Amino acid sequence: MGKTSVQPNKKLRVSLWQLFWTFFKTGLFTFGGGYAMIAVLEEELVTRRKWITSGDMLDMLVIAESTPGVIAVNTATGVGYRTRGVWGAIVATVGVVLPSFAIITALSFAIRALSDNLWYKAAFTGVQACVTVLVLNAFVKMFNQLERGWFSALLLVAAFNVALFTNFNVIFLILIGGAAGIVYALVADAIVKRRNKPLPIAQGGRLEGKTDDSDADGGDK
Amino acid sequence: MTFLVLFWEYFKVGLFTIGGGYAMLPLVTQIVTVRGWMSERQLIEFVGVAESTPGPFAVNLATFVGSTVGSQTSLGVFGGLLGSFVATFAVVLPSLVIIIIVTMLFDKFRNSKFVNGALRGIRPVVVGLILSAVISVAAKTVLPNLDFKNIRADGASKFNWVSLILIAAFVPLSQIKIKGKKIHPIFLILFSAALGVVLFGVFGLQS
Repeated sequence: MGKTSVQPNKKLRVSLWQLFWTFFKTGLFTFGGGYAMIAVLEEELVTRRKWITSGDMLDMLVIAESTPGVIAVNTATGVGYRTRGVWGAIVATVGVVLPSFAIITALSFAIRALSDNLWYKAAFTGVQACVTVLVLNAFVKMFNQLERGWFSALLLVAAFNVALFTNFNVIFLILIGGAAGIVYALVADAIVKRRNKPLPIAQGGRLEGKTDDSDADGGDK
Repeated sequence: MTFLVLFWEYFKVGLFTIGGGYAMLPLVTQIVTVRGWMSERQLIEFVGVAESTPGPFAVNLATFVGSTVGSQTSLGVFGGLLGSFVATFAVVLPSLVIIIIVTMLFDKFRNSKFVNGALRGIRPVVVGLILSAVISVAAKTVLPNLDFKNIRADGASKFNWVSLILIAAFVPLSQIKIKGKKIHPIFLILFSAALGVVLFGVFGLQS
């Protein structure tokens, strides 16, 4: 993974209005959970405006997922903060929430009638198919940012299965992932240290055997 | 007073739910029924609406609960407006504060062995969660009766083949480049809505 950052980037020239407008659009075209918005955000922030990289995006998602709150709002706050500091965070958050607020408030009296409307249902069925593909594209982009290897693959497949087939709380998945990552890092570290430990020249003949041992240890864990 | 309670309850919802909108649902259900604001049935009915109206699901739900609670007060329509504002603000506030703090600290700790290790584990988990979202949205679209958490034989009883074709068509469509740029997702969404009206509305291709 390249060098990523989630800190305010002073070199970016982003006006608060641009930030607001980008997130207003994102809020307006997000349906369902926050994942659908990743596709819109990727397109707007990474591809078009180049405010952040795909790697930054994944790190922001990680923060958004592992902190309290709505993912879409967390992402907006994070991107806003990165582009324009605290004011950016506030403006982006207001932007992403405003469409919901306006639409639901305006329609709250008619909202059940709308959801039973056949034309609305037909349009929404079409939108659902499109959203499926947008979330799929977001997945592919984020997947490409991942470190390759059995460790990532194992956690990805496990998280996928648990989230899809069980009611296991997502926060525990994230905690387990974090704990596994720390254990993995410590074990990998220990192996490197053991390998690099300078051995007396007299024992040089045993060096190779020693390395194999620690490799096997690491594999078991 | 009602509005203070509303603020406090929704602030807790924002603070104590991690992992997105659907994780909030049990807590919200508990609050509205215990406080007597809404029946569980009313809430569940609205969940369907919140999914199909623009905006993040959890924010939509907050605005709706706020508006319902507010209009029950003596303030009437104005109360509804105030209620939706209070609930929406309250659900967003913890995010705003926490994200700013976490982001500020993030780079300070990112060179720590522990934070780095944890991130290495959390990243694939998050990508796995996105993949599970892909599959559940796809299933909801193509096999509306299928429930992954409780798979039964009648899960495949309704098969929406037109949606399946639409999904297959949108995969290449979303990759097409015009003048070096991909089609903006917003246009894809608008286009899919129009297609939906034509296919499911005009031609009635609903399975």
